[in-house]
Amino acid sequence: MSSDIALYVHVPFCRRKCRYCSFISYEQRERDIPRYLEALKKELKLRYHDDSIRTIYIGGGTPSLLKASDIADLLSAISGLCQLDKDAEISIEVNPGTVDQNFFQTIRKAGVNRLSLGIQSLNDDELAIMGRIHTSIQAREAVRLARSEGFDNINLDLIYGLPAQTKEAWQYSLEEAIALEPEHLSLYALTLEEDTPMQKMIDDGLMTKIDPDMAADQYEIAEDLLEKHGYIHYEISNWAKPGYPCRHNLVYWYNLPYLGIGAAAHSCINGHRIANTGNLDKYLAEFTGENSWSPELDEKISRELEIAESVILGLRLAEGVQQVILKNRFGVNIMDRFRRQIKEMSDAGLLIQDDGHISLTPRGRLLSNEVFWRFLPE
Amino acid sequence: MEQAQTRNFCIIAHIDHGKSTLADRLIELTGTLRHEEMSEQVMDNMELERERGITIKAKAVRLHYKASDGKDYRLNLVDTPGHVDFSYEVSRTLVACEGAILVIDATQGIQAQTLANTYLAMEHNLEVIPVINKIDLPGSEPQRVLDEIQSVLGYKASDTLLMSAKTGEGVPPLLEEIVHRIPPPKGDPSKPLRALIFDSRYDAYKGVIAYLRVVDGRVAKGDMLRLMSNNTQLEVLEVGYFAPQPVASDVLSSGDVGYIATGLKSVVECRVGDTVTTFDGNVNEPLIGYHLPKPMVFAGIYTTQAEDFKELREAIEKLNLNDASLTYEPETSPILGYGFRCGFLGLLHLDIVRERLEREFGLSLLVTAPGVTFNITKTNGEQITITNPDDFPEPNDIEKTEEPWVKISIITPSSFIGTLMELLSESEGIYKYTEYLSHQSIGDLGQRVRLEYEMPLRNMLTTFYDQMKSRSRGYASLDYELIGFREGKLVKLVVMINEMPVDAFSRIIPPDKAHDVGKAMVTKLRHLIPRQLFKVPLQAAVGSRIVAREDIAALRKDVLAKCYGGDITRKRKLLEKQKEGKKKMKNIGRVEVPKEAFLDVLKLG
Repeated sequence: MSSDIALYVHVPFCRRKCRYCSFISYEQRERDIPRYLEALKKELKLRYHDDSIRTIYIGGGTPSLLKASDIADLLSAISGLCQLDKDAEISIEVNPGTVDQNFFQTIRKAGVNRLSLGIQSLNDDELAIMGRIHTSIQAREAVRLARSEGFDNINLDLIYGLPAQTKEAWQYSLEEAIALEPEHLSLYALTLEEDTPMQKMIDDGLMTKIDPDMAADQYEIAEDLLEKHGYIHYEISNWAKPGYPCRHNLVYWYNLPYLGIGAAAHSCINGHRIANTGNLDKYLAEFTGENSWSPELDEKISRELEIAESVILGLRLAEGVQQVILKNRFGVNIMDRFRRQIKEMSDAGLLIQDDGHISLTPRGRLLSNEVFWRFLPE
Repeated sequence: MEQAQTRNFCIIAHIDHGKSTLADRLIELTGTLRHEEMSEQVMDNMELERERGITIKAKAVRLHYKASDGKDYRLNLVDTPGHVDFSYEVSRTLVACEGAILVIDATQGIQAQTLANTYLAMEHNLEVIPVINKIDLPGSEPQRVLDEIQSVLGYKASDTLLMSAKTGEGVPPLLEEIVHRIPPPKGDPSKPLRALIFDSRYDAYKGVIAYLRVVDGRVAKGDMLRLMSNNTQLEVLEVGYFAPQPVASDVLSSGDVGYIATGLKSVVECRVGDTVTTFDGNVNEPLIGYHLPKPMVFAGIYTTQAEDFKELREAIEKLNLNDASLTYEPETSPILGYGFRCGFLGLLHLDIVRERLEREFGLSLLVTAPGVTFNITKTNGEQITITNPDDFPEPNDIEKTEEPWVKISIITPSSFIGTLMELLSESEGIYKYTEYLSHQSIGDLGQRVRLEYEMPLRNMLTTFYDQMKSRSRGYASLDYELIGFREGKLVKLVVMINEMPVDAFSRIIPPDKAHDVGKAMVTKLRHLIPRQLFKVPLQAAVGSRIVAREDIAALRKDVLAKCYGGDITRKRKLLEKQKEGKKKMKNIGRVEVPKEAFLDVLKLG
């Protein structure tokens, strides 16, 4: 049976890795890009069946390291192989340090209709600390160029909770970003894994520790400021002008199926969560060499877990979880099933329930993990 | 063999002065074991004893020696525990001997336990042969130590032997000295049996093995005997001596040291200090006043995993078969679950028991802060004895509190006197006495001095010993003895997490220390307990009075932001880990407290 899916394409290349990043991406492997693009097409051929693709999201890494013509070529391959909706949302992540007018022009023509610009901050000292390859001027310029090529759905990524970042510094960055009039804003609290250079500097006492209370203050500043400017806080980390939430990401939060291709890409298809190998060489060998595709993870999601995941993911959204929707999908009453958790979290002031519906309170958004783990099955 | 050719002696020494090495050398020199048969320190056969350099259970070895007068002598070497916690056992061992070899380290001189042991030997009228050991070491100062022995203990240099038990240098003359200076045992072989039990241990096949010194009469296999303290009847299943392995023999007679196998089920029935006599005989006078050694230090012992309680009970029961001075009673703590309130002779005894439980029985233990026993008269006239701080009554219900005091003796170079006196006075010590042990200075550290203080045993139980060692750069040595109960002004400090009292943290302290101790505990807890969804007050209280308070601010942020390319699995794994982590926490008054917080605060001095 054919259904609607989202397609994610991972591009695991970076000119230089940012100092906070622990995600899978490779420096100095740009020479492998042509082969990688071949592999992507082969993987799609192998794994795509006859679903209808509603959204495409090209993420990374740094997808904008690809030549605009490669992106166009990839998209045309996708639309050749797959059944792609006419009004599909097609997003790509863009690093402001890698683009020019021509790039935007070409990808726009190729069908990209949504940009996600990783500007992260509009303070140059912060950009330097994070090891970004661009300046705030380049970020502004990228927005200007994108607009001039007709992009009318632009997201800006910003990071808060940086070591020693003041409320004022954050507010400046955010106000400057708002002044660029993006349709969408994603605000991420800096989270450092053990193996990142920034965490090592903190461990060695060379950088101030992250202050979670400061990050909480900064989050609250953002909530106020963005509300004033007409943005809707539709997901824990995401704000959008009315009509502009990211349709691709909503697929994750609604716990609906998606196909992810590329190294380290994740899929959720037919009740399985699948992850491709994160090892670039292995991935290349699987699709352009001798080896056959062998996912790093293939986990059958039990019905019980799927229900729990649906609640957890759904609660990330401002609209929360409607009992009736899950009742239709799984035939269970979540209000009964999670009665104890819902009561405990409501009493703690992290959850609101009314009339067959639960959602996080403002405080609950900042403490969402404390709510979520309680919904996991034993 | 004639009683006249028997010599019974022990070796006494401060810890690590070389007692066990000397015993080994004597065993080897007399040919009791050949050199190849010797594993080092034959007489310490418990793994722990070797590691800690102390002897926990006394044993006896029979040595054969042909003296220069051409006669064969039987030398019975009785080993003694070298630590103050076991002073009762030491004193019973001394009663089994006529002489003692006093070993003093040539690099260290007289130490606190040297004195304590010497005085004990003198009290029991033992002939003491002082020897200065470790003369092979580069830092040895035999002359200074000779002077010290003369001025402090009164033994002439000409009566003191110099040796290295390690190399064997100077050891052979000691055997001649033993024969000539130590008197043969008195006692009448024709009288009814009277023998002193100076040690016992449990053997799974033969029951309790009692180590004896026969004073009058004789004992043979098959004899029916009686323990005088409790009239327990026993049949002698086997008689023998140690060489150093047990050797069965026909008979032990007056003056002899050896063992009997009793078939009794537990050492509790057959205790050190008791007198054994014939079952039907009319001997009524024991050899020495017998009493049960009283545990002085108490702690709760729990397993970290509640389901291991059964194993803990079995382990403690087994240990008790061989260690009659360990007492235990089941106890329930709302926080820690099921465990035992155990009584020990002292801190070292506690350490040994804990290590044996963990090592020999593979248990993971949680041991509460050690405390003493308190005798309390309540305002309603009721008299109670408290071994668990949590049972301590409220201030208004107490008429009078008495706690055990010790006399402590510290030997230190004089340059550390100031800092040690400060420590002693912080520990509520009362100054008694200063004694200069010699006129010579040790390097630039000054002369050696003995300080005598009296202080509550309570204050020796946490960091006192470590502090004494660190303040004196390791030079000071310590000995203490119990001197009885004294009245004290004491209160129970209770720690509350989110208004909920935590029994395991209760401690008994003087009221004027309540603020400092309470502050230290709540501060430590504030750093150890993770922030919760609500503000958590941490309070230390005496009765209804709060003496210290810290708050843990409510957690504000715990959120996973970015979803990398739909990697929901990673998010879920992190949440699962978080959930697992919560399971490992103890829930106290709705607060999730990690186990480490308990251990660290329990350790807090």
